[in-house]
Amino acid sequence: MKLQQLRLEQIRQFRDPLLLGDLQPGINLIHGPNESGKSTLVRAIRAAFFERHRSKSVEDLRPWGDSAAVPTVELAFEHNQRSWRLTKSFLQRKRCDLVVDGTSYSGDEAEEKLAALLGYQLPQKGASKEQHWGVPGLLWVEQGTGQDIERAVEHAGDHLKSALNNLVGEVASSGGDEVIQEIEQQRGELLTGTGKPRGEYLQLEKDQQQLQEEIAVLDDRIRQYQEQVDRLGRLTDEYEKARRERPWDQALRNLERARERYRQVEVLQQQQARDKEALQYVQQSLALLRQNQEQLQSQNRKLQQREADLQKARQQLAREEARAEPLQTAVEQARAVYDAAGKALERARQQEARQRLVQDIARLQAQHQSLSLSLEKAGEFQRKLDEARKQKQQNRIDGGTVQQLRKTRRELDEETIRSRAIATRLSWELDPGKSLRLNGQQISEQGEERLLEDSTLSIPGFGSLGITPGGEDLARARRSLQRLEQRLSDELAALGVASLEEAEQRLVRFQEADRQLNHLEDLLKSVAPNGIDRLTSEYDDTGIELEKRRVEQAGLPSTPGPEAETAPGKTEAESTVRHAEAALTNAEDARTRHEKSVLTARQDCDNARREWQQLKDELEGTERQQQLQQLAGELAAAEQRKAGLEGTLQERDHEIQRTRPDLIRLDIERYQRAAETQQQAQQNRERELRDIRVRLEAWGAEGLEEQRNDKAAELEHHHRRYQELHRRARALDLLLNLLTEKRQALTRRLQAPLQKHLDHYLSVLFPDATLEVDENLMPGRFTRGNELGQMSELSFGAREQMGLISRLAYADLLLEAGRPTLIILDDTLVHSDMGRLEGMKRILFDAARRHQILLFTCHPEHWQDLGVEPRDLEALKGQTVSG
Amino acid sequence: MAGLAQRAFGNGIVPVPSARGPDLNRDAITIKIAREVNRLPRFLHTADWQMGRSFSRFEAEDSAALTEARFEVIERLARLALEENCDAILVAGDVFDAQTVSDRTIRRVFNATRAFAGPWVMLPGNHDAALAESVWSRARRLNAVPDNVHLALEPGLTVLSDQGLAILSAPLTQRHTYRDLTEPFDALETPPDLLRIGLAHGSVEGVLPEEVDATNPIAPDRAERANLDYLALGDWHGTKQINPRTWYSGTPEPERFRNNDAGYGLIVDIEGPGGLPAVTLHETARYRWYQWRETLAVPSDLDGLLERIEGLRESSVLDIRLEGSITLADDQRLTEALSVAEARFRCIACDRTRLQLTPTEDDIASIQADGYLGEVIEELRARQEGDRAETARDALALLAELLRNRSEVAR
Repeated sequence: MKLQQLRLEQIRQFRDPLLLGDLQPGINLIHGPNESGKSTLVRAIRAAFFERHRSKSVEDLRPWGDSAAVPTVELAFEHNQRSWRLTKSFLQRKRCDLVVDGTSYSGDEAEEKLAALLGYQLPQKGASKEQHWGVPGLLWVEQGTGQDIERAVEHAGDHLKSALNNLVGEVASSGGDEVIQEIEQQRGELLTGTGKPRGEYLQLEKDQQQLQEEIAVLDDRIRQYQEQVDRLGRLTDEYEKARRERPWDQALRNLERARERYRQVEVLQQQQARDKEALQYVQQSLALLRQNQEQLQSQNRKLQQREADLQKARQQLAREEARAEPLQTAVEQARAVYDAAGKALERARQQEARQRLVQDIARLQAQHQSLSLSLEKAGEFQRKLDEARKQKQQNRIDGGTVQQLRKTRRELDEETIRSRAIATRLSWELDPGKSLRLNGQQISEQGEERLLEDSTLSIPGFGSLGITPGGEDLARARRSLQRLEQRLSDELAALGVASLEEAEQRLVRFQEADRQLNHLEDLLKSVAPNGIDRLTSEYDDTGIELEKRRVEQAGLPSTPGPEAETAPGKTEAESTVRHAEAALTNAEDARTRHEKSVLTARQDCDNARREWQQLKDELEGTERQQQLQQLAGELAAAEQRKAGLEGTLQERDHEIQRTRPDLIRLDIERYQRAAETQQQAQQNRERELRDIRVRLEAWGAEGLEEQRNDKAAELEHHHRRYQELHRRARALDLLLNLLTEKRQALTRRLQAPLQKHLDHYLSVLFPDATLEVDENLMPGRFTRGNELGQMSELSFGAREQMGLISRLAYADLLLEAGRPTLIILDDTLVHSDMGRLEGMKRILFDAARRHQILLFTCHPEHWQDLGVEPRDLEALKGQTVSG
Repeated sequence: MAGLAQRAFGNGIVPVPSARGPDLNRDAITIKIAREVNRLPRFLHTADWQMGRSFSRFEAEDSAALTEARFEVIERLARLALEENCDAILVAGDVFDAQTVSDRTIRRVFNATRAFAGPWVMLPGNHDAALAESVWSRARRLNAVPDNVHLALEPGLTVLSDQGLAILSAPLTQRHTYRDLTEPFDALETPPDLLRIGLAHGSVEGVLPEEVDATNPIAPDRAERANLDYLALGDWHGTKQINPRTWYSGTPEPERFRNNDAGYGLIVDIEGPGGLPAVTLHETARYRWYQWRETLAVPSDLDGLLERIEGLRESSVLDIRLEGSITLADDQRLTEALSVAEARFRCIACDRTRLQLTPTEDDIASIQADGYLGEVIEELRARQEGDRAETARDALALLAELLRNRSEVAR
């Protein structure tokens, strides 16, 4: 297929017609910057083929804002030496016209014809979608989708396969795939993917097991049932035998005999017990008799003992009485010593009292004299004190007032001096014997007077001169002087003195008297601190005490003799007395104890003699002798009885021993048990028989074996069905394997041509790599050296390259099958590095020898060395407009 | 049938053909009227009813029918005795197949005897031995045993004076015994004017095939030694004469493919004590059991087989095992014929696992096995020679069927 020219008009930005003519059979490189209209061109080609002319889903073709537009595409191409010309317009004028070698088609017919030629489907309605695109979807690569090949291959699958079938010339079995599906489905009903039973098949397996278990249970119960039946048979026999033979009867008879023998032995044993009791009694009374005899014999020994005791008591008494004399002497001596010591002590006490009196009298005399002296002094001080007090009374004056007086006088003096200074001075020098009168007073010779007041100077003879001192100060000084003079006279009058000097003298005398008074009071206090009266009474008391002691001294006996001087002191005397007293007490105690001992010994002696006498009297009586004789008789009788009983007992004991009562008792027990056991066994049999019968009746009613047979039948049915399914499963498995195997072999044969083309291109890019085509003709496993993986796992760039290679291989395949191939690549391989791009260029150049390729790009520099002249879309637009 | 009868009765005893098939008592009333009052004793000998047995190898429906037939045959025996003016019916053991059959089975068995009001003597066999607790004691507890049915649960004599019969019984009181239970017959006295009829269950020594159990032995000359007029035996399921006075009656209704001489009741006439018994066989079976082993080699073999199937009476139980080879078309023909037969017969089983499928060119064309499907068919056909032949055969049959269905749908 060779596209020769393409014209479009009123499509998107191509409002004006654009003609792309003179297209080459190999590569056509069309370039232009972004938005120059490359994609619109591609879209126009796709719309021309894929979209129905009457489609309402091609609004995108309309130039912007042009509601009246009629988007139109015109295509001319050649295929198999026939020329095809297509004119298709949309929207406002919906038309499709196709002319093939002069034959015209239009509308749907034209569209179907094109679809059949290129191998795609038209949509029933609406826009054409990916799934409709078929072969062109694989060969026309839109921008940025070069790497996504799976879906494109899927949608082109049927076309590809039919092309392959043409090539290989083999019938791929009509409906073989459906058969496989059917077999798969049938197998799927029985087996899981991994070949395990499922569904009914699995259920049968389980049911069989369940049934087998149930049968096993039933078998077990049947076995039990049969065992029980056997047991019942044996037991019935045993029971009947026992019922006939009554083995327990013999045991009961034996038991009765043994019991009889035992009763006889028991009688003997009772007699034996009675005799033993009698023997015991005899033995007891014998013991008592012997005890009595013993007692009587012991009385004689006691009498001898008492006689000896009496002797001993007498001797003791004699010894005690002998000790009385020396003890009495010792007491007397001790008392004499004690009396002497008492007298010495008395003397020592008297001496001591005398000495103490002498000392007291001397002390009291001294005290009496001292008090008398103090009393004298106190009287003198009291007298002087009274005098000082009188003096003080006479000169009493107030110190403060004298002070005030002194001050007033000083102020008056100061004021007088000041007034003199300012007073009008009147001096005079009169001729001898002439006088004048001033203010009535006569003045003569020379003198000076200070005048403060209006004065009158009378000059005899002449009359009088009045002098008036001038100035205000003078008047004030004159008034002040008068006031001070007045105050001084008042204060003097108050003190009762004539002058200040007199006041001063009186004050000195007053103060002197006061000091004297204080001094005297202190002196008086030193001799009579508590006053003179107290001192006087102390003095009197001392005197009385002294007198008392003197009388006491006079009352004492006269001074003792000279031995008193050497007599021991009182303390020593007291010690001597204490020792003497202790010795006396000891001696007296010893004597008292001895007296008691004597009394005791005497008492003992009396008692001993009385007891001896009493017993002696008793033993020598006649009653006693009779008692002894009787005892001896009784003893002999008892001894005889005892011997008799012992003989009987021994004899009977032998008799009892011979019959072995212990064994008889064991026999009784044995026979009893035997009878009981046998009867019990029979009862047990009877009970067990009953139990078994009841059990068997119940079990029998269940029809166990019939049940088991039914179950076994069911199991066999299940088993048969299972075997059928098992065989069927195996057969299906085998069939599926075989079918799949054969189909794969066929696919491999079909894949071979495609693989050949793929290998061809791949070897250019990766010399050692392989890319396998799977059964759906999809490029799948990729290997390169040690690398192994799916194509989808490769990098984006590599996937795009593999995608393009695959598409070219499909193109080769289609070409071989005589199908039209047109390859449109919109800005492809933009993710390839220079090395890979170089390889891809070699591949494209190679492919272009067989296929027409439209390559749109905005990077013409990448494709410079492709060996074709690039066509600039911008330039094309210009040409068309100008054309 | 004819061949069968000859094989079974090669000893010269010819069964009385039963023109009416299993339905024996249509004219019972006329026969009853013809009965004489003072005539020689006549009795019916039967055995091995095996009641309570189930037929596991068949589908539930068939199994039920076969079980039902066993009850029916008791009724049939009763009517036969009535029609034939028998004085008594002797059942020589294995009335029941097991001790613990259901109560219902027990009741039904005794109910089925009603038609014949004369005395029945039933002997315990090895399947229903008179153990301490047995199906018999259960039957008695259930009050299921009619008065006219005598249970010979203990060795000894059952005197049927009115019928002129003294029955010497040797019941099994254990499941198995290794001594001859009929030995006491030698010493057992009977009233002189009555027939001495022995009733026992076991294997007559040295007569039956080796495979039969050596348990429960019976001396072959017991009838002679015990001066019996007739010894009625059970245990062997086919009708078999041991000597003129000793017979196995066989089971009245067959229940397996072996022992095909089964399905009869024996009517015995003896002309007084010491007289030789005259034994006549009366067919009682409802179902006949056939087991065929055929080899198919050429297409006409199949034709022959299908003819034989067609020739069988409807109440048949048929078991076929085929060997050899068959084309796909013939295989389908066989399938269809079996399908028809299934609807006709009580039961039919056909084992084709050893029958190879050999598709012809026509076969393959007719099922449109083109492309790799053809390869698969060829492969499977070849594999039928290998070690997993059965699976290959099944697979081939499956594929052929699938393809046939598809091509039929296509048409």
